[in-house]
Amino acid sequence: MVKKKSFLRSFIFWSLIVILVVFITYPFVWMLSVSFRYDTDAFEPGIIPERPTLDTYAILLGFKKSVREELSNEQQQLLEIIDLLPEDQQEAVLAEIEAQRKKESFPFLRFFRNSLLLAGLSALVSLILSVFGAYAFSRIEFKGRGTIQRGVLIVYLFGGTILAVPLYQIFVKIGLTSTGFSSAIALFIIYIVQTIPVSLYMLGNYFRTIPRSIEEAAIIDGTTRMGVITKIIIPLSLPAIITVYIYAFMIAWNEFLFASIFVRPFPEFYTLPLGLNEIFNSEHAIWAKMMAASVVTAVPVVVMFMMMEKYLTGGLTAGGVKE
Amino acid sequence: MSLKEKEAKFGWKLVLPTVILISLLILYPVIYNIYLSFFEVSISDAPNKFVGLGNYREILTDASFWKSFGITILFTFTTVVGSILLGLGVALLMNREFPGRNIVRALLLLPYVTPLIAIVFAWKYIFLPIDGPLMQFLAIFGMNPGNDFVNNPNNAFWVVSVFNIWRNFPFVYLMILSRLQSINSDYYEAAEIDGASDWQKFVHITLPELYFVIASVALLRGIWNFYKFDEVYLMSKFANTLPVYIYEKAFSGIPEQGVAAAIATILFVIMISLIGLYVKKVLKW
Repeated sequence: MVKKKSFLRSFIFWSLIVILVVFITYPFVWMLSVSFRYDTDAFEPGIIPERPTLDTYAILLGFKKSVREELSNEQQQLLEIIDLLPEDQQEAVLAEIEAQRKKESFPFLRFFRNSLLLAGLSALVSLILSVFGAYAFSRIEFKGRGTIQRGVLIVYLFGGTILAVPLYQIFVKIGLTSTGFSSAIALFIIYIVQTIPVSLYMLGNYFRTIPRSIEEAAIIDGTTRMGVITKIIIPLSLPAIITVYIYAFMIAWNEFLFASIFVRPFPEFYTLPLGLNEIFNSEHAIWAKMMAASVVTAVPVVVMFMMMEKYLTGGLTAGGVKE
Repeated sequence: MSLKEKEAKFGWKLVLPTVILISLLILYPVIYNIYLSFFEVSISDAPNKFVGLGNYREILTDASFWKSFGITILFTFTTVVGSILLGLGVALLMNREFPGRNIVRALLLLPYVTPLIAIVFAWKYIFLPIDGPLMQFLAIFGMNPGNDFVNNPNNAFWVVSVFNIWRNFPFVYLMILSRLQSINSDYYEAAEIDGASDWQKFVHITLPELYFVIASVALLRGIWNFYKFDEVYLMSKFANTLPVYIYEKAFSGIPEQGVAAAIATILFVIMISLIGLYVKKVLKW
């Protein structure tokens, strides 16, 4: 009787685990599967691709030209007759062909580079500011400290939705939305501010766990506060600092709202979320490419997270992630 | 200057850049947003026109606003309850040793940490009418595979909610699990000696111990999901929650940014009350 019951229990338990795993991985499995297919095979049934290929990845990463990028017949004919045209028309036709080709390509690498630069740099600036800020919060007594700390925590709960309109108006007023580059700068500044609260909070919590006695000894030996930060605090909290950097990086890497508001008119400066969404909405039958792009977008972040998992779960539960 | 004053000055110097940035780019915009909500905001060089409570009057008499408002409340409620029930269930499941536990733990992080843009297309793919694998699977149970969940305003709400639950339950699970693991095992032993059943142990020991963490996670997720934009918009812009409504009013078609600012202000007031509740009940200041 007892045995029968425990068998039933473990059967139920394992069924639940299997259901859970399927529930989690279902979209990921399809994402991977479709990414190894040709665009035309995207809807072939069955999870294992019948004609597996790495083509999509090769095109995406620029190792191979896509069919779309190769000149169409019409364009080639145009190129052949171009010499017969008067000079000023030649240029116009060339520009037209160029524009057409640009429209048809899938500039994944450009999106990737833009996102990498924006997320990487803004997370770095935010990290540097937060290291100093968090040190002040956790170690130095000054007037207004409590108020600022609480303010930061509350701000951490504000969302972009509320800030979208006023921030846009502010940046229009100071003229940072006129060119692609200045819009990207606007985005850069916004990403720094969006990531500071969570970085400050997490780092502050971590610094408080470092015993004061370590730095007190150094201060007695004549080390300045600045020296304490760079020579003692930073080396001691390196895992936490890296974790916080990954968080900040991920927030910027994921960000869609502000990117779509500020750089939509400037395709040269599209980030991954904006670029992929625009392409998805404007073209057809590109499922394999979208899935391969998804995989390549996910891999850096997922790998970073898995590497830091040990520290991460602690950080997650301590403060939650800013969304 | 005394040493203490010097220290305080140094402390201020360290936080000053952060304070300036946050004041300029978060606090000021919030106030500016309220200011803008009383104007007809021009998109050209022309000055804004003061309209008093005009924008608010327009919104509050607009049926589509109220519909959107209702959807937002329902969305917040559904996703909070859904992700907490699922997160709690999974946390209870994962709170015991079994072979392969570490792999499942790692997999559980995936929905939460994968970049949003890298997972929405896969979701759109499985929900495609006729061809989508999930739709084909559901057809076995007699559902019409031709349903377009993602692009149909009537169904979009469900897709967006299920997606949000799927994406965020790992966060709830992690918070609950870490609390579960710190419950004193003496309680359970004592209850076993008294002959308590598993269900009784769950109701009388586990749940009361988890009460606080569940309440705080519910409030946090409530705040976040109430103004959630990207997860909703990228999955299906037809779900039409308030943040999507604001976005469309402000940045598409003929922009009505004053109206958008007024909606954002309403959203903000509700959110601030939620945050106030959170600060008072959870953080206990």
